Amino acid sequence: MTALDSLSFTVAAGSTLAIVGESGSGKSTLALCLACLERPTAGRIEFGGRELTALREPELRAVRPQIQLVFQDPAGSLNPRLTALEIVSEPLMVQGKLTSAERGARARGLLERVGLSPGMAGRAPAEFSGGQRQRLAIARALAIEPRLLILDEALSALDASVQAQIANLLLDLQDSSGFAYVFITHDLRMAARVADAIAVLERGRIVEQGAAEQIVRHPEHAATRALVAATLRFEPPRERAGG
Amino acid sequence: MSAPRSLRVWIFALAGMHAVIACAGFFAPYDPAEQDRERPYAPPAKIHFRDARGEFHARPFVYPMHLREGAFDQYAEDTAKPAAIRWFVAGARYHLLGIVPCRVHLFGADGARVSLAGTDGYGRDMLSRLLYGGQISLLAGLLATALALLAGLLIGAAAGYVGGWTDEILMRLAELFLALPWLYLLFALRAFLPLAVTPLEAFFLVVVVIGVVGWARPARLVRGVVLSAKERDYVRAARGFGASNGYLLRRHILPQTSSVLLTQAAILVPQYVLAEVTLSFLGLGVPEPAPSWGNLLASMQQYSVLTSYWWMALPALALTPFFLGYLGLASALQRWADPSNMKAVGTEGWR
Amino acid sequence: MRYLVRRIAHVVVLLFGVSLLTFLFTALAPGKYFDEMRLDPQIAPSRVAALRAEYGLDRPLPVRYARWAGAVLRGSLGYSFAYNAPVSSLLRVRARNTLALAITSTLMAWGLALPLGIWSAEREGRWPDQLITVATGALLILPDLVLALGLLLFAVRTGWFPAGGMASVGAESLPWAARMRDAALHLALPALALVLSTCPMLIRHVRAAFLEVLDSGFLRAAQAHGIPRRRILFRYALRAAANPLISLFGFSLGTLLSGSLIVEVVMSWPGLGPMLLEAILARDLHVVIGGVLLSTVLLACGNLAADLLLYWADPRIRTEGAPS
Repeated sequence: MTALDSLSFTVAAGSTLAIVGESGSGKSTLALCLACLERPTAGRIEFGGRELTALREPELRAVRPQIQLVFQDPAGSLNPRLTALEIVSEPLMVQGKLTSAERGARARGLLERVGLSPGMAGRAPAEFSGGQRQRLAIARALAIEPRLLILDEALSALDASVQAQIANLLLDLQDSSGFAYVFITHDLRMAARVADAIAVLERGRIVEQGAAEQIVRHPEHAATRALVAATLRFEPPRERAGG
Repeated sequence: MSAPRSLRVWIFALAGMHAVIACAGFFAPYDPAEQDRERPYAPPAKIHFRDARGEFHARPFVYPMHLREGAFDQYAEDTAKPAAIRWFVAGARYHLLGIVPCRVHLFGADGARVSLAGTDGYGRDMLSRLLYGGQISLLAGLLATALALLAGLLIGAAAGYVGGWTDEILMRLAELFLALPWLYLLFALRAFLPLAVTPLEAFFLVVVVIGVVGWARPARLVRGVVLSAKERDYVRAARGFGASNGYLLRRHILPQTSSVLLTQAAILVPQYVLAEVTLSFLGLGVPEPAPSWGNLLASMQQYSVLTSYWWMALPALALTPFFLGYLGLASALQRWADPSNMKAVGTEGWR
Repeated sequence: MRYLVRRIAHVVVLLFGVSLLTFLFTALAPGKYFDEMRLDPQIAPSRVAALRAEYGLDRPLPVRYARWAGAVLRGSLGYSFAYNAPVSSLLRVRARNTLALAITSTLMAWGLALPLGIWSAEREGRWPDQLITVATGALLILPDLVLALGLLLFAVRTGWFPAGGMASVGAESLPWAARMRDAALHLALPALALVLSTCPMLIRHVRAAFLEVLDSGFLRAAQAHGIPRRRILFRYALRAAANPLISLFGFSLGTLLSGSLIVEVVMSWPGLGPMLLEAILARDLHVVIGGVLLSTVLLACGNLAADLLLYWADPRIRTEGAPS
């Protein structure tokens, strides 16, 4: 069974591409392939001028740090037995280029950057709220300064208000550091808020793609229209009362 | 997460019992190899507080035993020479925990041998042999458990992590080992190794045989843990920033096996102690003159001993508190690992 | 039907694997083994030489295994030089005795475990349950060696039961009823030892299985329909609990066989156990291998019986394996 079939899209540095689709459309497989954690059976992935699908494992291991993944479930993506500081400094430790003191300093800096107070560095993930855990996951992803960040339904498990906060955080980070995002979600409205371009995924194929505003305002494909309709159900009450 | 109170109670109790056995030299009044040919199969000494004249003494005492005229296993107390029991007496030399040379024993009697658990056919004090024998039997059980768990960890981790053909082959092999009745397998393995060996060689032989036979169940359990841990997102994330397989196993996956291994340890140690006892009882384990709970019980196979010398069965009772302790520990560990499992039987994987 | 065929094929492959494993044990230290034999004055040097030739120790391992396996399949398990008889005839009688003991003990143990476990589950938390929990706990910590020795001591002290063996001297000449009684008396204590050592675990597992079932929704529905308690227990609860219990049955067979080894030795029951021990001490290689193989066959057959029982009891298994 094919999860993904003939996809084609590009992401420019510093911009955000959102890939929107219903569950079962193959999004998670896509995320893993882009992060080089799974191999596509056919096709090419080009990154920074290099063809990733042609590389072998040792070379891939050098490329992977440049593409980082933030997962949907913050509880599952953080090792419950480690402290926040250990989690964030782990990528640095694996890369092995800094001393222990330098790692600690960098990790604390990262925690601040994502809006977590350094006092929480010694706590375990269980003691954080969902939104804070996601901030922690983002901090970890940023630790080795990737060029591309893939967010696989990273906001979907959070409350609406927290989603907005984290989305703003992501945009701020992008402005200051210039990395690219691939934002995978089923929520078209969130995608429109965050992304420059949107690609709509249905059953493993891209059925429509273009600028974010264009897709949301003038959806053409049936799948896109269904996604737009799904977001319309959540109109804030005051707009209806005025009519 | 700190250990709940019931768990700590069991750990403390077991630690205490093991400490007594480890310091056997101190608690035992005599050297276990010291023979007393004039007192074979002497019954346990009676402790008196009231002497032959009816006077009460605060300090307990015993009477020396000697054989009755013309009898070879009937003893009479010599009431003329009471021997007071003293504490912290100097006696035979021994090495505390195998390292520190010592001479102090917990108790002893002035001028007589006090055998609280009787003596065996060579007049050796059974209490001393019991305590020293515990060292051998318990150590054998502990070492064999460590061996089985180590083998199980390595094989289970390999099968679970690598998967594919490695997994298939290793798990089929485990099934094979589990298909044989355990004790028969143990005996078969023992059979093909030399019989006439020194006590030290026999000890290591027994440990290796028991440990090698027991890898299969721990391996299956470890494999299960590794399989599920492998799919966790934080393992994927770690691979994403360049972690090697070795690092993933060491840092993220194998630590998850600790609770399974601990529970298995609590279940296996008593089983393996019993295995050593059984082997030695049947003459396939640690041989004389080294004491082991098994070969101490071996004399019970003789009809005369079985009918007349009941105290020779006391080593059997020594096993019981340890079994109780480990069973309690295993139940407490299982409940700690999975508090929702109210219906845990406490004997999962037993035997 | 496909399920049955699969299970039987599985057993065959298992036995093959076990035979391979046991054979490999002999390859562990064959040289040393023969050295020991040569030093043993009871064994004639010519026999050692003959056995060496028979083994064909100079041949490669797969060839040796093939020859040995072929012989086994033809029913020849080798020759015992200690008894000067073919191994299969020696073991046949012993296996029968072990089987008698094992089957009796299994029936008695389950005959006790099922009612006690169910009773305990029904009265969960109340005094019968607590009493049974304490009693099973007390028995669990007594190793089978200690139980066997204790019962032997009991037999010797009271004289109510014979202290070993399968039949009294001269029992063959007694009339049938007296012979049965004699056999039963001899069987009683070894069986009791096995029952006491396996029952506690069985009771606890039966109790756990029934607790799960008694909690479930469909049972409450049956109760609400007014179906009498007894009927609920036997027709519904038992059926639902059958699955884990039958697996337990298969699993407990292994522990029973292992336990029977020590019980047979201690109480002088002439089964596979004492024979195996003697053979090890006498370095009678063929008997050892034959004994281990036979005990594995017994266990495998027992497990197959459990699988058959499962097949009969669980309709889901009968329909599984149908083409999708």
